[in-house]
Amino acid sequence: MTPEGSLLVAEGLHKAYGPTPALDGADFSIHPGEVVAVMGPSGSGKSTLLHCLAGIIAPDSGTVRYGPHTLTGLSDARRSALRRTDFGFVFQFGQLVPELTALENVALPLRLNGTKRKEAERQAREWLERLEVDTVAQQRPGELSGGQGQRIAVARALATRPRVVFADEPTGALDSLNGERVLTLLTDAARDTHAAVVLVTHEARVAAYSDREIVVRDGKVKDMMAGLI
Amino acid sequence: MSPLPSRAGDGGGRGGGRDRDAAARRDPLAAPRTGPAVWGRDLAMGIRFAAGGGREGWIRTALTAAGVALGVAVLLLGASVPSLMDAWHGREKARENLGQVHQPRAADTTLRYASVDTTFRGTPIRGRLVRPDGAHPPVPPGVRHLPGAGRMLVSPALKELLDSPEGALLRDRLPYRIAGTIGDAGLLGPRELTYVAQSATLAAPDGYRIDHFGKNWDPTPMQTPAVLLVIMTCVALLTPVMVFIGTSVRFGYERRERRLAALRLVGADVGTTRRVASGEALFGSLLGLLGGAALFVGGRLSAPLITLWGINVFPSDVTPGPLAATLVGLLVPTAAVLVTLFAQRGITVEPLGVVRNRPPVRRRLWWRVALPALGALLLVPLTWGEKWTDTPLNTARFAAGSLLLLIGVTALLPWLVDAVVSRLHGGPVPWQLAVRRLQLNSGSATRAVSGITVAVAGAIAIHMLMTGMQAGYAAAYAESGKIPRIGLWGNARSWSGTEQALGALHATPGVTAARGTVDALIGPLPAAGRPQDDLRPWTLAVGSCAELRTLARLPSCRDGDVFRTTNAPGTDVPVAPGRTVDLNTAIGPDDQVTPQPWTVPGTTRPVQLRDPGREPGRFSYDLLATPSSLDLGRLNSPTAELQVDFDRATPDAVEHIRNTAARIDPMMNEYSAVDNPHDGPYTSVRNGLFIGAVITLLLIGAGLIISTVEQLHERRRLLSTLDAYGTRRATLGWSVLWQTALPVVLGLALALACGLSLGSLLLAMIDSAVTVDWPVVTAMTGIGGAVILFVTALSLPPLWRMMRPEGLRTE
Repeated sequence: MTPEGSLLVAEGLHKAYGPTPALDGADFSIHPGEVVAVMGPSGSGKSTLLHCLAGIIAPDSGTVRYGPHTLTGLSDARRSALRRTDFGFVFQFGQLVPELTALENVALPLRLNGTKRKEAERQAREWLERLEVDTVAQQRPGELSGGQGQRIAVARALATRPRVVFADEPTGALDSLNGERVLTLLTDAARDTHAAVVLVTHEARVAAYSDREIVVRDGKVKDMMAGLI
Repeated sequence: MSPLPSRAGDGGGRGGGRDRDAAARRDPLAAPRTGPAVWGRDLAMGIRFAAGGGREGWIRTALTAAGVALGVAVLLLGASVPSLMDAWHGREKARENLGQVHQPRAADTTLRYASVDTTFRGTPIRGRLVRPDGAHPPVPPGVRHLPGAGRMLVSPALKELLDSPEGALLRDRLPYRIAGTIGDAGLLGPRELTYVAQSATLAAPDGYRIDHFGKNWDPTPMQTPAVLLVIMTCVALLTPVMVFIGTSVRFGYERRERRLAALRLVGADVGTTRRVASGEALFGSLLGLLGGAALFVGGRLSAPLITLWGINVFPSDVTPGPLAATLVGLLVPTAAVLVTLFAQRGITVEPLGVVRNRPPVRRRLWWRVALPALGALLLVPLTWGEKWTDTPLNTARFAAGSLLLLIGVTALLPWLVDAVVSRLHGGPVPWQLAVRRLQLNSGSATRAVSGITVAVAGAIAIHMLMTGMQAGYAAAYAESGKIPRIGLWGNARSWSGTEQALGALHATPGVTAARGTVDALIGPLPAAGRPQDDLRPWTLAVGSCAELRTLARLPSCRDGDVFRTTNAPGTDVPVAPGRTVDLNTAIGPDDQVTPQPWTVPGTTRPVQLRDPGREPGRFSYDLLATPSSLDLGRLNSPTAELQVDFDRATPDAVEHIRNTAARIDPMMNEYSAVDNPHDGPYTSVRNGLFIGAVITLLLIGAGLIISTVEQLHERRRLLSTLDAYGTRRATLGWSVLWQTALPVVLGLALALACGLSLGSLLLAMIDSAVTVDWPVVTAMTGIGGAVILFVTALSLPPLWRMMRPEGLRTE
């Protein structure tokens, strides 16, 4: 897959934590509405790649372009603003604010974007229904099952109608049944909203939900369909 | 059964292997072993965890130790007060003997001893004159030999003052050469201003003859307001300290719980984990105990710098009683263990983590209201009827009442925070995050804030009491001191001597008028079979016509005239012309005197006193006599009563008058309202209390920072996630501010209500008008607000550090 028409493109990313290189010239691209699974063994640099792509961390060298923007050249404040408006996130653990109800958690990114509370909660409720967890809207994360929590997290990631959803091992803590349901809901919802999904996982069955798979090994990216790009 | 390694099985002896086998054979389903040995082993394990927990573990232990150390230092200080007062009173008893009941005859081992106390620029100076009768007089403690005639021994503080330029005016008053200094045994405290001088002229009737120093004397009981203040201060100081100790031992409890979960994974039972947790807290509190003792020993070195209510002591006086020190040493570690066990109620440490199996606590109001209500029930009746008197029952009621009221505040605060935050909805994201956090768990925040609440409530109440008392004294002194006047009195030997004294006073810088009379009591002649006190004595004033005219309206006057007053208060039988009276009438019941008959002249005329009355500034003389009308030498203890008016604009006019008075007669006494002796002590105590309250607030602020940062640390992954979402730093910064501010503001509101109520009760107990010390109230609430900002500001750097994406890494 070439970067042409890509929504998000990374080229020659290098990132090291102390003496240990996490990314060593990694390239990546994703088109709108595409689901790309990023696979690889533990410690291969998958999460670091995701963090660089999302502008959460800055690479030591290389560039990340998002539409007309070069993420690596933006200030921290601009990158934060971009994450609030255009990106959504699902992580494996600890992502829901324990004090807020499920509804408030889903409404949170909308509110951070400046949406009024009532409108944010109305939209959040729609997402909860879509993710089939509207019955637990008033419960707090501590009262939810793992599957329900991840669905809330997916709803939250999609609530702002992001153009890219970054999911880092979203089903890593779930049993297979729940994991599959969450992935179905995530990818279906993303496709409906034409959002690209960067899905970091080490499970082959999770990768089956993607349009394309890439493998990260020793900080380099290999496209399973096109060979080493 | 606990899986923790057993020392018994580790022995290298021949039996070691058998022991291990026996342990291995133990039935795994048998009831867990308990008992002191198991407790000891688990506590020791906890101590090992705390000591071997690496840098992070040591930081936690240090924080716990710091909190406990502070509490221990305050407790030891409180425990030292009784022995401190004993030492202080003991030195006063040992060095004093004014007014020995049975005066000895003059001998080789006696001396004449007189008080020549004075005041210099508002500071009292204790002076004693001695004149040995022989070669072996007694010496007071701290003095090896009495000074020679015209010399004096001074306290180091007085020497310092006399050697300084500020003491120049005082040197004129003490015309003795310094022959040495008085040792510590003869001083109440290192800052005491005192001297002992030998006078070559000291003679009867001045002073007393004594044959030893030291007297049986019980200290004057403290005045009611002072007792209330001491009790209140102890309660207000110790309650936040107890709260602080309770908070300190909980530092780092979440990580401790995770470690305990790991222990459970290897087979430790719940009881074992609790004991291990207690051991960790015990280690911190034991270190705190040592630190507190060191802080106390170091802190008491500053005792010489502090003077409260005129009490200034040596560092060695600040020593806790052995029983109290032992109690502190035992109770603080025990409290640490109990608080840890109490904190673990409702949670179960499971092998895969901590399960909080206690349903969300619905804080009940009834018992929280019952505490302050019971306190108020004990206190309010004390304000009824007569002014509060210091009886053991009243003291206990007052202490218990104020303690219940203040502890009630700490109990009410969690309920209040819960009740308020549960009604808060909506608002911007930071506000919502803070409110929701408090709705979910406000325990740790309110625990720390309750310390602030007690400290502020106590400080406000004490300040109200102090302000009320100080204002009462200030008003009284302002009323008495409206006219710039000093009264002087001393033994009178002759009218001419008194006239010379008035002349000297007239010539003193700043004096605008000086007048005076020689006063004495005269009585009926004793008669056989008649009790001596069947008739009240009459008061006599002897002075020139000019002086007498200031007392009464005289028709005409010449030296030799006598006048009887017709409007003196309380005169049962007027002294009639022609009546023979006794000039040398007995004054005390043991006064052995020879009657000196004198017949009131028939020419005695009736006159009216200008200001009759017994109050200060009024007169109640029965008889007015000019100097030639009687022989002053026949009177019993005639006293020169002088009144000196001065110009306030003249610098040090009062000190110049005191110098003149000392030259006239070193034993001249003074009564005046020029120095309010209460103002300085009250101001110093108020300032001290204010500083104490501020330090308490800052310490509690430090505790709040620790718990806030700890909470942030626990949530660093969530913070990183929120950062990934693009959450602004300001959003989370504001949420920390609101999360701190809400409990603190509610705590301060509660403190204000409780402090003002308690202060009003205290003032009612001493029959004082209720006045609120608004500057202090404002300052305390302002400092409370500053604590919020302080906590927030110091929490921001760690918050921002924890918002970094490193928190998202799982590998």
